[in-house]
Amino acid sequence: MISRLVFGVPTDTRKDIDRRTVLTYVGTAGAVGLAGCAGDGGSDGGDDASDDGSTETDDAADADASDEFAIDVTMGQMDSGLDPQDHAETNTEIIVGQAYEGLLDRDKAGGIIAGLADEWERTEDGSVRFSLRDGVTFHNGDAVTPEDVAFSIRRIVFDDVGIVSPQSNDLGSVTEVTPGDGAVTVSFEGYNPIAFQLFATNGEIVQQSWIESNDGDYINRNTNGTGPFRVTGYDSGNEVVYEAFDDYWGGAPAADTLTMGASSESSTRVNRLLAEETDIVTNVPPNEVSRVESADVASITSVASARIIFLQMRYDVEPFSSQQFRQAMNYAVDVESIVENVLNGFGAITSQPTLEGHVGHNPDVDPYPYDPAEAERLVEASGHAGVEITLQTPIGRYLRDVEIAQAAADQIDSLSNVSCSLEQREFSSLVQDITAPNIEDRPVFNLLGWGNGEFDGSQTLTPLLSSDGALTVLKNEDLDALLAEAEQTSNPDERVETLQTANELAHDLAPWVFLHQQFSVYGVSSEIEWEPRADEFIDPDTATRR
Amino acid sequence: MSVGRFVLKRSLQGVGVVWGVVTVVFALRFVTPGSPINAVAPLDASQETRQAIAAELGLDQPLYVQYAQYILDLLAGDMGRSYIRGQEVVSLVFSRLPATIELAVAASVVAIVLAIPLGVASATHRNEPVDYGATLVSLGGISTPNFWLGIMLILVFAVEFDVFNTSGRGTDIGDVVLAIGGSEPFVGALLSWLAYITLPAIALGTYFMALITRLTRSGMLDELGKGYVQAARAKGLPRTLVRYKHALRNTLIPVITVLGLQLGTLIGGAVITEAVFSWPGLGTLVIESINQRDWPALQGSLIVIGTGFVVVNVLVDTVYASLDPEVVNE
Repeated sequence: MISRLVFGVPTDTRKDIDRRTVLTYVGTAGAVGLAGCAGDGGSDGGDDASDDGSTETDDAADADASDEFAIDVTMGQMDSGLDPQDHAETNTEIIVGQAYEGLLDRDKAGGIIAGLADEWERTEDGSVRFSLRDGVTFHNGDAVTPEDVAFSIRRIVFDDVGIVSPQSNDLGSVTEVTPGDGAVTVSFEGYNPIAFQLFATNGEIVQQSWIESNDGDYINRNTNGTGPFRVTGYDSGNEVVYEAFDDYWGGAPAADTLTMGASSESSTRVNRLLAEETDIVTNVPPNEVSRVESADVASITSVASARIIFLQMRYDVEPFSSQQFRQAMNYAVDVESIVENVLNGFGAITSQPTLEGHVGHNPDVDPYPYDPAEAERLVEASGHAGVEITLQTPIGRYLRDVEIAQAAADQIDSLSNVSCSLEQREFSSLVQDITAPNIEDRPVFNLLGWGNGEFDGSQTLTPLLSSDGALTVLKNEDLDALLAEAEQTSNPDERVETLQTANELAHDLAPWVFLHQQFSVYGVSSEIEWEPRADEFIDPDTATRR
Repeated sequence: MSVGRFVLKRSLQGVGVVWGVVTVVFALRFVTPGSPINAVAPLDASQETRQAIAAELGLDQPLYVQYAQYILDLLAGDMGRSYIRGQEVVSLVFSRLPATIELAVAASVVAIVLAIPLGVASATHRNEPVDYGATLVSLGGISTPNFWLGIMLILVFAVEFDVFNTSGRGTDIGDVVLAIGGSEPFVGALLSWLAYITLPAIALGTYFMALITRLTRSGMLDELGKGYVQAARAKGLPRTLVRYKHALRNTLIPVITVLGLQLGTLIGGAVITEAVFSWPGLGTLVIESINQRDWPALQGSLIVIGTGFVVVNVLVDTVYASLDPEVVNE
């Protein structure tokens, strides 16, 4: 029990080449008999003390009160820096999202709820106005102002404000941001029917003066947000330590401290959970689920995520240019079997591009049934009997992606009139082809996953299936017209109907082999009570001690 | 040639090696599929957004301009800024380096402390149970994959018996050194450090230990059969003196060479062990940088690893030269 007796919260707070780092080198040498120096026991782990009161790395996290409620989260990967507006990936969002917030937020199921704005409305000209919550302060104690909010949105949207934000892709249609008396008005190019969905997922608020007085390196190592936790220790690539923000507008979270770390090895994450070194672990693979469930110190909890997994088929290349052939591929793959046997049930069969619960999902569209005979008949009818195809899959990007692709390729290959092989590719290499500007340069048949953080069907249909979509594999005028109509209408009910029609059409056109909705599977310590969110964000501020 | 000139010559050769590493790694970015833009931008980013990000990262410049700029910056001590993390590569790399050195040194200590006595005992008790045991241990060490060993060590000693931590770095050696003169109990800091370092050090050092054991054994057997040993024994020198002062000293020359080379390998090659134990070292950074095509971070890491390798080799050569002065003149 050495570790249990003498170790508290990890105290690692390295940020730069500071005294501790020097001592580390010295200590390393000492380990082989060369060290002969000693420090004074001070603890100024921070690299540059600031007088603006913003939260910085220090050794405050060393505190280890016996009644302290500390939560430790282990993910698969750490952040790519702490700038909340200079990233576009989930792990970083989870880490910075503990300290920063947007105008709107989401509940566990993905519904829109208040954030820094307590009221929001659409104005007569189609703009949106957010009324800011009173009395909200940044972690440095300064009040949040409409100017800070306007600056934050501009920093994302306009390149000349400071950075080229990858998030501009989502908020790119913003044309103007006007701060007013306790409110901010945002205008778009034309009418934007999903403005509130966009701001519930994007647009974390930073303090203008803090951003302008620090460089990118500093902003990526320190935080000054309004969220329920404030960063007290940042060790790039290793861990981020937070403490509860007592002045949080929603009330301080139950946890006193929070530590976010990562382990790329899933077995290591599970071992950490079973050794009671962490409270929440992400992405527990199906083969590890029984090990967690049989332990008395932790349990498994899962939630249907906003990510859909599918096989893309390019419409302009034989044999996939045939709608019958594409439908045949859907009949050939036994998705139910894949979900049960490869994913241990952690998935839901899909029938259309829009997931259940998302705006525009059509409940009347059923999944393609597994029917090899019908698949063979359609292949014959398409005139492509005897064809040889290759399915490309990324390695390790999505939950059991290679195994899923292998099963699908085997099932297609078992048809009497189609041969299918599998090609595994590193994700960076595959995605380079998938994102090629011209459709002619994209893969012909590949597995892909798509997360829809806005919970709106248009955010899947438009980029992936409209003729001008950045990742499209389809060109269909009827679908384009429906999507254009959905984009322009200001009547929400009409829009839902239009998107449902688009989903039905997409099902029939079968540009994808519709596989499944990925589940987020977490291992959770028996010592805490916590429910996961549908958008893959982790919210330890909602966790309580059992 | 003097030892000084010998070291200088080796050092200059090392500079050439590091420059070669820089150039090859720089060239790799243009022949490797994938782009850092895909790690920065969302998949559905427009071509305009992609171009703006490319311009911000300097990827829109011609190859020779990027290379020349990189070399000039490097000479000024600037390794650039990570494409993905937005942080200075110098601080990023040097924040990871202590963990890697710490693990490599700890693994080496584990290996040396066990291997040399085991090798000597094996050679001096040839064809006895001690020899068979040592051979079994060393063969097992060589043939056991360290990722498997790491997982087994975690399962047994961290999960089942709860003696060590499963992963992470926790307390570093710097904290232990600070505790010597500080207010925190030194023993507590030391135990805390051991709780994190022990399992990865064993996992990483086992292969190394097995290798050194075999090398020491065969070297000792070789030396013990030579005439000078018989002569020393005939002169009446004690068996222990002959073995440990004469035979072992000569045995250590090839062992030190392998030690040095392996230490360099450990600094750059502890990737799998770092992954299994979530050890936040350079190996992890290299893998992350490759996956994300974060070229500045990758180049910075490899330059430091390459330099470390060169420095270790120069040190080994120097020690080798001091043990065997003929090397200097070869």
